[in-house]
Amino acid sequence: MTKTRRALSRRLLDIAALWWLPVCLFLLWLVGSSGSTNFYFPPLSRILSVLWRDLTTGSLPGDMATSLGNMGAGLFFAVLLGVFCGLLIGEYATVRRALTPTLNFLRSVPPAAIVPIVIIALGIGSAPKIFIIALTCFWPVCLNTIDGVRGISPQLVDTARAFRIPRLLYFRRVLLMAALPQILAGVRIAIAVALVLMVISEFFGASAGLGFYINENKQRFAMAETWAGTLLVGLLGYLLSTLFLRIERWLLAWYFQDADASGRATG
Amino acid sequence: MNGPHMITLSKAKRLEVSGLGKSYGTLSILSNLTLTVEPGAFICIVGPSGVGKTTLLRCLSGLAAPSEGSVSVGGIVITEPQAEIGLVFQDYRGSLMPWMRTLENVAFPLEGRGVPKAERNRIALACLADVGLENAAESYPWQLSGGMQQRVAIARALAYDAHILLMDEPFGSLDAQTRLGLEDLVLALRKRLKISVIVVTHDIDEAVYLADRVVVLAGKPATVVDCVDIDLGYDRDQIRTKSDPRFVEYRNRVLGQIMA
Repeated sequence: MTKTRRALSRRLLDIAALWWLPVCLFLLWLVGSSGSTNFYFPPLSRILSVLWRDLTTGSLPGDMATSLGNMGAGLFFAVLLGVFCGLLIGEYATVRRALTPTLNFLRSVPPAAIVPIVIIALGIGSAPKIFIIALTCFWPVCLNTIDGVRGISPQLVDTARAFRIPRLLYFRRVLLMAALPQILAGVRIAIAVALVLMVISEFFGASAGLGFYINENKQRFAMAETWAGTLLVGLLGYLLSTLFLRIERWLLAWYFQDADASGRATG
Repeated sequence: MNGPHMITLSKAKRLEVSGLGKSYGTLSILSNLTLTVEPGAFICIVGPSGVGKTTLLRCLSGLAAPSEGSVSVGGIVITEPQAEIGLVFQDYRGSLMPWMRTLENVAFPLEGRGVPKAERNRIALACLADVGLENAAESYPWQLSGGMQQRVAIARALAYDAHILLMDEPFGSLDAQTRLGLEDLVLALRKRLKISVIVVTHDIDEAVYLADRVVVLAGKPATVVDCVDIDLGYDRDQIRTKSDPRFVEYRNRVLGQIMA
């Protein structure tokens, strides 16, 4: 009885430790803004009711689908190309030497700076948004993959050589797996970056999407709607990163348990 | 022991090292090293730490190219790892793929050879049974003890259908009891499968206990200073063999060579 009670109180404490700050901030915002007549800072209750209205009867589900579709497609291409290039660049010193200066220049260009050019070049559909997200998210994935490949233990390389593992199989089952912890860390960064670009890319030349929703309402001075859109993007970002963390834990179960067993730090 | 009947029964090819030298830049590690491993023989290569045992083993396995001389298997000079040779590394933790279960680890080299999945799993399971680990097929390396991980590495070399087993300080980092058990396991495997075994070790007792012939490396650069044929019979026993006066004699002879 006391045991279960103690376990229960520990779980409650855990939950409290995780949620006290968000809950306090939410309440502070809710109470602090309740009587607000400031045009730019409408009461939270109004923001939430607008959010609910547009989610249930308004354009938000469609906007969300458009945005997440662009983001998903962009990330998909970024991960595919980033991992592919990263494996080749990391594994072959000649490829690395030939590409490093170019890569260092290209990745120094701030992504937001490319948005106007891309929109002029690719028009206002989904293509330019997907392109921008893919282009920017390519870097963290590619660079992390390179690091992961270069960090493979020489023992594993020797093992693969001694047992004459063919190149393609080596890339797929050894190099890719050895680099996977780093690759997924890169994808985690890429998701955060993709969210930013998803919104920014829809500020220009868009007719749907969450960025469009925020920007459109801002131009109509519909502050509650603007806030609602912003809040929704924040929540989406939080949900996506939590979801990804779960996926990462699942994909890397061997890695974390191996680290636990050998006392290695996983960062 | 290593009589003519052994040679005809073994499927292994003769491994010959002739005039082998290996240097890195100006640093010469091995020099003019000559050695023959007859099919089915059990050879231990001993030498003090840092003498170049691991370098020699890398040359024997084809992982490193000799600077001088050659290594040949069945009369053919090798320049890269061979299907004939199975390698067991010193660092068992680092040589098993941590993302693969035991069965996958053992079957992986066969996948590289294009063996169909059902067939390679069957072989891998049989080899795991050979080392007494048929129940650990579904475990990950981190779930196994050091001795078990090293047995998985041995099973992998066996599954690869290697007739020459090359082992680099295979039991060096294991506790004494596990170590003795694995020594006997390798002796039993050699006897049953008629493979050649080459073990590199710094442990003289282990070398004399296991080998038909102990090859002593010494000097800088290292070369073969002595070859001691160990005439202790084919079946060894941790207590009986090690208390045999001849065992002590062999051990002292090898020890004298290394201390010299």
